[in-house]
Order: sequence, then C-alpha cells, then structure tokens
Amino acid sequence: MSTVADSRTDGPLSNGGLRAGLSGLVPAAGLLLGSLLLWEAIARVFKLPEFVLPTPTSILTVLVAQQRELAMAAYVTASEVVVGFLLSAVVGAFVALVIARFTGFGRALYPLVVLFQTVPKIALAPLFILWFGFDLAPKVALIVVIAFFPVAINMLMGLQRVDPNLVTLMRSVGASNNEILLRIQLPHSLPYLMAGLKVAVTLAVIGAIVGEFAGAQAGLGYLIQFASTQMQTPLVFAAVLEVSVLGVLFYYVIEFLEWRYVGWGPSTS
Amino acid sequence: MLPDPGPAAQAPAHIVAQGVCVDFKVGNRVNRVLHDVSLSVPKGGFASLIGPSGCGKSTLLKVLAGLLPPTAGRVSIAGLAPMEAVRQRRIGIVFQEATLLPWKNALDNVALLMEVAHAGRSKDEIRARAVDMLRLVGLEHAADKRPAQLSGGMRQRVSIARALALDPEVLMMDEPFGALDAITREEMSTFLLEIWERTQKTIVLVTHSIDEAVFLSREVHVMRANPAQIIEAMPIALAYPRTEESYGEHEFAQATTHLRRLLKEGHRATQPQAPRRVATA
Repeated sequence: MSTVADSRTDGPLSNGGLRAGLSGLVPAAGLLLGSLLLWEAIARVFKLPEFVLPTPTSILTVLVAQQRELAMAAYVTASEVVVGFLLSAVVGAFVALVIARFTGFGRALYPLVVLFQTVPKIALAPLFILWFGFDLAPKVALIVVIAFFPVAINMLMGLQRVDPNLVTLMRSVGASNNEILLRIQLPHSLPYLMAGLKVAVTLAVIGAIVGEFAGAQAGLGYLIQFASTQMQTPLVFAAVLEVSVLGVLFYYVIEFLEWRYVGWGPSTS
Repeated sequence: MLPDPGPAAQAPAHIVAQGVCVDFKVGNRVNRVLHDVSLSVPKGGFASLIGPSGCGKSTLLKVLAGLLPPTAGRVSIAGLAPMEAVRQRRIGIVFQEATLLPWKNALDNVALLMEVAHAGRSKDEIRARAVDMLRLVGLEHAADKRPAQLSGGMRQRVSIARALALDPEVLMMDEPFGALDAITREEMSTFLLEIWERTQKTIVLVTHSIDEAVFLSREVHVMRANPAQIIEAMPIALAYPRTEESYGEHEFAQATTHLRRLLKEGHRATQPQAPRRVATA
C-alpha cells in the first residue's frame, strides 16, 4: 500500500490514499450492518410500535415505496442548500478579503462579524419567514447567516498567515498590496478556504432543514415535520436518512474539489 | 569614500557600516540591540557574522539589507543608502527557510520576484532567465517540481536561484543552511562557494556554525551580546578554492580554535547580569 501512496506526493488524497480510504470503510460498514441487525432484532423481539421505533426494514420499505415523494422533497432541500451554500461562500470570501485588504476597516468589521456569530441564528428563522415568505429566499437567508462565518474566518486566517519573509521579499522588489494579495495571500488562503467550505456545507444542510421547520411547503425538513404529526415515523426516518446522504454528498464534492485544485495541502513551505 | 578598517580588504569596500546602533522600544524601556557596530566588506568578498543567539547578528543583517533603518550610524551598499540599494535591486536575500510558494513549481518560484520587478519584460524572457538560474544551482531537471517534492537542500537552492535571478550585487543570507542536516549543510557550503566564485557576488552570511563560517568566509566578524558588538574581524588565511580537504588543513583548525575561544569568552562575559547600556543616541 505504501508504495502506491508514495508514487504521488502532490496531494493529501492521492489515488493510493483514496483507495486506502475506501478499504478503511470496510470495518465501519461492518459495524453499521451489525448495529442495524441489532436494532431490527430489538424492535421485533420487544414488539415496539412502529410509530415509536420502526424497524430498519420498514424504513427501507418506505424509502422504496415513497421514493418519488422523498426525491421531490430532497430536490427542494438540495436546491436550498446549493444556492445558500454558494452565497455563503461568496459572502464569506468577500468579508475575509475586505478585512485582509483594508486593514483599517477590517479592524472595525472583524469584531462585529464575531459578535454577529454569537447571535443564535436559528432564532432568526421566523423573522426571515416574515420578511421573505415561504419559498427559497428565507431558507437561503438563514443558510447564509449560519454558514458564511466559517468560510470568512478560515479564509481570513489563510490570507493573514503568509510567511512574513515572503512578504518582505515581495516588498523589496516593489510589489504593491494588491500584487501581494493576488500572488501570495489569495493562493495561500485556498486550502484554508476549502476547510471553511467543508464546515459551511454541513451547516448549510442544517440551515435548510431548520428553515423548513420554521415554515415551508416542501422539502425534507417539511416532510419530517409533516410525517411526525401524522405518526408516520418510518417516513421521518427515511427523510432524515436522505438529509444525511445529502450532507455527505455535498461534503465529498468539496473534498474532491480540494483534492483536484488545491493539492499542495495546508500551507506547507 | 569611507575609510576602510578591514585588514582583509583588498578590493574597494562594497558594504560599509559605521557606528551602527539599533534600539528597540519595549514600553518605556529602550533595548539596545546593536551598539556601535562597524564593519566593511570588500567588493566580491565573503563575510560571516557569527555570535551567540540573541547577539543581534540577524538584526545587523537586516540593517545591511535595508529591511531595518538603524537608530544611529550609517550604512552604505555600493555607495548607496540601503533603502536605495534595495530599490535598485542591488541586494538579494536568502532566509533560513526557503520561503517558496508551495503551489508553484521550482521554475515559477524562481520567476516570482522577476515577474514583479520586471513587469515590462516578456514572459519568455523571464522564463529563460529562471531556467538559467536553475541551471546555475544545478536544478534544471527539477524545474517542474513543487517545493513539497524537493529536499530541504534543493528548496534552499531554489531560494538562492530566486535571489540571484534579479542579479543583485550583494547576497544577504540569514542562516541559510540552519534548517538542514549536517551532511547537506556541508554540501551546500561547497555549492555556495562555487556559486560565489562563478557570480562574483559580495556575500554576507549569518551563521551559528564556526566550521561553516571558517570554511566559507574570507573574513569572520565575531559578535558578542550585552552590548551587541563586533569584537573581532578575523581574516581566514585558508586558500580558495576550498574543498572537502580544507576542513583538515592547519589553518582551518587554527581559525576554528581561535573563534571558539573568542565566542566562549564573549559568552562568559555576558553571563553575570551586566547592567544594560542605556541608549544615549
């Protein structure tokens, strides 16, 4: 295995590493299967009512039987996540760039950004419904206020943690602040940005679900709430499962982009 | 012209420092980091600054390289004030860490400062010069390798190539081999002498290593702390070109023994908590 991993050293997740990662999933899959079997056995032996704890098999049945309904809900939620996440990325990166580039203004802005982070943003959901209605907009707004922060903070760290000696060299040949930003700080911040995006994308999924809880006519969050009022617990579980699958999918899309485009890894000199 | 105090000065003085003092203010207290330091390095010379940690040798290098204005005293590089020398790209700098961009290959790293400094020149011209520089440091085969794919010594060669690319007259090196293992260090010393002989640059090197200082330099400036001063400018009698065999020669042993004694005396002198000199400048 080590020979495969050594053959490419330009990325943390080289092909060898990816394959090693997949084979590393085998024990996890085994444990998961074992837990599911135990769950099935407990639910059957103790004859738990389905609305309290459905068996994995009944959840699977719902997953198949109501797949159209689930897929449509997943589509709605996924669009909210994608739009909200992209906007979070743009807003977060913009805030980081402004703070790093205009240091005077940045000193004023940074504490306010941190202060804003302490606001319990989930509590804003009803406000957003009031302001933006029941469709995409309030969910996107909620996602942005939740998810822009890790993007901004991580990217800012990347912009600021450049080697001061390198900046000295650049200045000694007459480089302007903009040149230093473009040639040194911005590329240096990309691995940090990716780390922020990975946190942001999982927060975006949470934001979408919470937004739907607060008021929606479609989506997985809406479906979870609707199904639980109807005591359709297997459907609740099925929808929750699809939420997690969405989260994992988005996470690995970012992971892939990171491996593909910022393969030099976290700031090795 | 300025007077030339250095005994080993055969060529006209290229780097001159006279009565250089540097104070750092810490709150209300003034810390004197350099006290009345004078030195002179002839054109094409190779001078080392050696001394205990915290004796201000890196600070002195920063002053000579125009990165730090002295509190008092005067410095001239090729007859220019250091800041002006920097502006005219007369000074190349190499740090202890190679400080390369991890996302760029060796060639692009060498080209980096040229792209900023020679914004008017064509890409091909800059590239050709970068290739020449990589060839000079023996890394033409590694042009497309990223820093992570290079060894520590190779990274430092790229860093030297980057400094030489702007064709400075003076190379200021702050413990450039300090992060390397002993064997690589010696290889890099031999390599640096080759570069020096071929390019005729004036080199000032800060080092901790007595052997390195003696092996490389025409003159070693020994510093002490509290107050940070040059206590001796010692010419090294060892003939160039110096090779592996030079380490075994009588002059080498003589010089290292003398240096070791000087550094020990300086070290002992600073041990009792001598009252720090108050800045009078």
